[in-house]
Amino acid sequence: MHRPHDQLARRISRRTVLRGAGVTLALPWLESIPAWSTESSDTGAEDRFPQRFAALFMACGVHPDHWWGKGSGSEMELSRSLAPMESLKTKMNVIEGLFNKNSTGVGIHPGQTGNILSGASLQKGAELKGGISVDQVLASRLGQETAQPSMVLGCEQPITGYHETNFSMAYSSHISWQNATSPVPMEVYPSLAFDSLFDNRGSRRNQSVLDRVREEAASLGRRTSFGDRSRLDEYLTSVREVEKRIERQRIQQNKAADRAKHRGASVVTMKRPDNGLPEDIREHMRLMCDVIALAFQTDKTRVGTLLLCRDISGLFYPFLGVRNAHHSASHNDRSEDWEKISRYYCSQLAYLAGRLDAMPEGDGTVLDNSCLLWVNNMWSGSRHDSTKVPLLTAGGLGGTLKTGRVLDYSGEDDEQRKLCSLYLSIMNRMGVSMDSFGDANAQLAGL
Amino acid sequence: MKPGYLTSDIRPWLDIARHIVYGAAFLTVFMLMSPTVRAEDSAAKVLDREFRSTVIPFLNAYCLNCHGTDRQEAKLNLSGYTSAGTVASSHQVWEIVLERIAAKEMPPEDAQRQPTAQHRKAVVAWIHSAREYEARRNAGDPGPVLARRLSNAEYNSSIRDLTGIDIRPTRTFPVDPANAAGFDNSGESLAMSPALLGKYLDASREVVEHLVLKPDGIGFAAHAVVTDTDRDRYCVKRIVEFYQRQPTDLADYFFAAWQFRFREKLGRGPETLQQTAARTGVSEKYLKSVWSLLVSQDRQISVGPIMRLQDLWPGAPSETLQPADARRECERMRDYTVALRSRLRPRFRDMTIEGSHVGSQPFVLWKNRQYVAHRQTYDRDILQVGEAASPAVNMLDAALRVPADDVERERYEAAFGRFCSVFPDAFYVSERGRDYVQDSKKLMGEKGRLLSAGFHSMMGYFRDDRPLYDMILDTAEQKELDALWRELDFVTRAPMRQYSGFLWFERTDSRYMREPQFDFARPENQDASSDRMIRQLNTVYVEKARRTGGGDVEITAIQHYFHEINEQIRWVEKARLEAEPGHIQAVLQFADRAWRRALSKTERKDLIKYYQILREQDGLNHEEAIQDLIVYVLMSPHFCFRMDMAGSGSERQPLTNDELASRLSYFLWSSIPDRELRHLAASGRLRQPDVLQAQTKRMLQDERIRGLATEFTGNWLGFRRFEEHNSVDRVRFPVFTDQLRQAMFEEPIHFIVDMIQQDRSVFAFLDAKHTFVNATLASHYGIPDERLETLPAVASAASGGTFSATGPWLKIDDANVYGRGGLLPMSVFLTKNAPGLRTSPVKRGYWVARHLLGERIPPPPPNVPELPADESRLGDLTLREALARHRDNKSCSGCHQRFDTIGLAFEGYGPVGERRTKDLGGRPVSTDAVFPGGQEGTGLHGLQTYLRQHRQDEFLNNLCRKLLSFALGRSLILSDDLLVHDMRVKLEADDYRFGSLIESIVTSPQFLNRRSGGHSEGQ
Repeated sequence: MHRPHDQLARRISRRTVLRGAGVTLALPWLESIPAWSTESSDTGAEDRFPQRFAALFMACGVHPDHWWGKGSGSEMELSRSLAPMESLKTKMNVIEGLFNKNSTGVGIHPGQTGNILSGASLQKGAELKGGISVDQVLASRLGQETAQPSMVLGCEQPITGYHETNFSMAYSSHISWQNATSPVPMEVYPSLAFDSLFDNRGSRRNQSVLDRVREEAASLGRRTSFGDRSRLDEYLTSVREVEKRIERQRIQQNKAADRAKHRGASVVTMKRPDNGLPEDIREHMRLMCDVIALAFQTDKTRVGTLLLCRDISGLFYPFLGVRNAHHSASHNDRSEDWEKISRYYCSQLAYLAGRLDAMPEGDGTVLDNSCLLWVNNMWSGSRHDSTKVPLLTAGGLGGTLKTGRVLDYSGEDDEQRKLCSLYLSIMNRMGVSMDSFGDANAQLAGL
Repeated sequence: MKPGYLTSDIRPWLDIARHIVYGAAFLTVFMLMSPTVRAEDSAAKVLDREFRSTVIPFLNAYCLNCHGTDRQEAKLNLSGYTSAGTVASSHQVWEIVLERIAAKEMPPEDAQRQPTAQHRKAVVAWIHSAREYEARRNAGDPGPVLARRLSNAEYNSSIRDLTGIDIRPTRTFPVDPANAAGFDNSGESLAMSPALLGKYLDASREVVEHLVLKPDGIGFAAHAVVTDTDRDRYCVKRIVEFYQRQPTDLADYFFAAWQFRFREKLGRGPETLQQTAARTGVSEKYLKSVWSLLVSQDRQISVGPIMRLQDLWPGAPSETLQPADARRECERMRDYTVALRSRLRPRFRDMTIEGSHVGSQPFVLWKNRQYVAHRQTYDRDILQVGEAASPAVNMLDAALRVPADDVERERYEAAFGRFCSVFPDAFYVSERGRDYVQDSKKLMGEKGRLLSAGFHSMMGYFRDDRPLYDMILDTAEQKELDALWRELDFVTRAPMRQYSGFLWFERTDSRYMREPQFDFARPENQDASSDRMIRQLNTVYVEKARRTGGGDVEITAIQHYFHEINEQIRWVEKARLEAEPGHIQAVLQFADRAWRRALSKTERKDLIKYYQILREQDGLNHEEAIQDLIVYVLMSPHFCFRMDMAGSGSERQPLTNDELASRLSYFLWSSIPDRELRHLAASGRLRQPDVLQAQTKRMLQDERIRGLATEFTGNWLGFRRFEEHNSVDRVRFPVFTDQLRQAMFEEPIHFIVDMIQQDRSVFAFLDAKHTFVNATLASHYGIPDERLETLPAVASAASGGTFSATGPWLKIDDANVYGRGGLLPMSVFLTKNAPGLRTSPVKRGYWVARHLLGERIPPPPPNVPELPADESRLGDLTLREALARHRDNKSCSGCHQRFDTIGLAFEGYGPVGERRTKDLGGRPVSTDAVFPGGQEGTGLHGLQTYLRQHRQDEFLNNLCRKLLSFALGRSLILSDDLLVHDMRVKLEADDYRFGSLIESIVTSPQFLNRRSGGHSEGQ
């Protein structure tokens, strides 16, 4: 990865992502109001709806025999595992044959996962080293526009420790990386993910600090003589000014949310999730998808990742009648059990895409302005095969991404089937133009 | 001037008579003013009268045509001055007027009318006396100093000294503007804006990202600490570094024991074992053990490995056995001991039960504990009893043989026992792969798992350092190590994470917990690590273990596991809660240091109250509240403003002790005062002249003096931003790498730090024969490698302690041999003042005249013809000839003759400061110059001679003024002239030592007092 991105991403995401660590106060964004949420948006900016990107991750492969699409458009035929997408198939793409060179031949599991969104080569041993992930590049470039540059969510707690390949298990738990050495802290609590988004916690915290500073500076100002006060007055004025801007920003965002409500009658309404972790994984995934849907609709963020399960996952699925936990089940990946699990994960994409598609935006829906990426780190869990990965996209990304297609790159040269090329294409379509990313120097042909 | 005249600290500042005696510069004034008019009001009257009779007519006749109401050449308007008082209030303008008229540059040569020499002299004399009068009237005036924000550099250093981490949060801030004197540390230029305030907020947030909450307070990590992996990295590194610091090399102990044994022969007769240990840096405790083994006369054990070691131990030093030889033999002893010891290490079986995984936590921990318990014992079965059938092939096999005879065998076993108790199989284990893995090739790959317990896939730390702890560490070190391990659990919540890993693993890789009775214990279960649930799982788990054939040992291991992990988790929970008040106290201490003064009772109360508001009203958790409390401390004007500089009235008042401490530390270190300064301030002693002087001396020797070296000289000499210098064509000058650029930047800093710390003469700036180089710069300067190898590295503050990575720096005493020495030929200045593909005698000369000598030179007119950017494109002319033509032009010559030729003396140095004999167009360069004033000279040496013989006074004057302006954080005012004069006098008396200047400044009333920003001058 190129250093400047690393640093940029670090500077922004470090202090803005989750747990209310505080929204950055880089002032340029305070001055530039998101285009679509300005007062003038009623008069013509409507055609420039924000583009959003979210990646959903499932680990340990899919059922290799039941993961395919044929044909195109409304004629497209979907395999058993992809059936949940049936009603949305014209808005999706089935993309086969892409891969990350750096996740092959290095040993199974963590080495196949920590770079799924970065394409970076990972380092073994105690010291973590990989590369910034595509979502964080987007967040660092587009994140200034929104309350949160990105959301990094997970439905399974991250773990560390060492895998037998001597890769840190941290690579198995994190797909979003803010720079080469640090993953983005992942939020697994739906309630906190909700808060971080809708409370504007970060800016509230900054406002509280500034409030107090202002009081203090004011009392100092009273105590010192005229001459000295000039610089302090400047300080005081600046504090007041920044506070006002934060306030304006909050008002803008609330207005944007309001407008979103008016435009589409069926806005997602969501009550704050309960504290703690949902013990039913179905509930957990649904809540996280709802948080993303709501965030996208109200333009609180435009970038998200959701780790549905981590690599070597210990999730288990009594509701599917499967007794084995995720990872063990994947070792028998031509089984009925594993097909059910694969289908279940596909249904998460269907759920989120469905929610976004129910949100009108202009002539289309929020889904039409988004790109959801569903990706897995392996094709086959029994063989730990990552020479190609299962991948689906949903949404037209504001008319820049044609859908209803099956694209198969399996027969192409390795150079022509890079995951990072796909990421380059998506970034470029979102206005983040880069010449290279990860191991790719060119966009994906034929997308 | 008589040396010793100024030794008294309480100097009679306002003693006018002294100035009459010593102040040669002022003599003219007093010749003009008769003694009878010395009383102030009459002096003012005389000045006013003179102004009307002499100066106004001069202005009308010779100046106002071009510098009046209608025209303002050079933006100068001299109309509207009606009295001496109005002149005094614009003394800076009139200083220029004075210079120009005195130098006969004004009126210009081509003016229609020229004043008589007498009239000119009278006006010059009047301006002098007006300034003198004004200066004297306000002698010692601290001057108008504004409370101002910290400069970017001060902010960074303050954060560095507050947190111990060089975070440099202002690296994305806009560059600070400089004041008229060229420094970015004054309220004149350091404004605040909303945009900048936003950056301050970012900066504070960035600082708290490094915050680590510990059991006994707060700390800051070198990296941001946001995720679990960050926290792991921080704590693990601290423990591993602690281990690595410990003296565990056996050769050191054998050698120390040898030195102690032969201490008399080695010339250290009275040395005790304790002293030997201290001198050689080994543990006293362990040296005693090793010593007593090596000198043991115990017949019972003087066989086998102990006899062998005693034999290997070198004998008395002699011609043929020098200490270095003995050391080598001691290393052989170590190698023998380590090799033999590893053969004697007991092995333990892997524990497992039916259906479980061998890499499961309880079993791995059980085995780890066996190793820990046996680090100082050995496995008797490893010994080979009786004569070998064939002679042993290798020495170690032979060493493991013991006699078959029972009595003898017992002796040997006792000797092995003693050997193994003194030499553990490991002092500590800092890396561990999965011990149960049989495939040694696989294990080889499991490197770098620091402090790991060795579980399968799961995280978990394991402490294994008993021998180090018991045998080597003293009590204080033991406490430190215990604290570090507690910190690891506390900060990383390792036990909770480890247990959560257990719950996951036991139903995935290990299938042990897949049955429904275990369903209640899942990581998703919020309560899974509660005391109740851990006990419950213990019961269920043990039930299954008994059912699947677990024996007592296995059951005990499992129960031990649940008990231990439960205890550890409970401890972390409890400790975290109990540590909260301590964290608040730590922030109060942090605020005390950040605000550079003791907090008032109210302030302490308010801070605590703010924490409570953050917790209770804003709903933050403890860590967030502590973070925001620190952000507030850093956003407070008490931190980011220099409140110590602000006066609270127009009256002069002495600085408080705390304020003085701040002023000193920001002057010399560009940073907050340290503990010692604060302590002396608190006891009220800092103002005592002897204490103040002693502290100043101490501060000059501290490594933070790099602050003064960088901020003062960097701005004075204009190289402060050279680290970002980008106007060198790297294709044409591939030698100009980032490393070379950095080295160029560091050279003057090393030079100046050395000057300060060695208290050298300030003339060294001009003509020293020495300079400082690292390997990169040495190669650029053509200094051969062999020269470098023989020199000791400089341990000066300039290397910035941990703040610099430019390799060792060396002092080259005869740098003149390589065309270097002093400031003038430093490549940083030669490069900075060359526009890429040619040199620029104009810029280089201008730099000398302007920065070094302090000449005031007006900006060039807007329509100057450009020289070609590349000297190979100059056509037939040399650069020297092109410049000469330029000087033929009348409107250029006035200024250019003051510096062009100085620059020509540098022509022996190319665009990146490399020495050369031909320019880039292949023409031979000439370094002959006729300097301003007509003196001739050649090259660097010629210029140095010229400056010392003819310009030295200007240099000294400029240095004094610049340093004073930097120290006071403001532009100089008229009354400072007296102090500058005193600095000069004292400097001469002190053999021109740099320290003399600092001493003059820190004891001056300007430095020790303050008043508010209102003007008193000219009122």
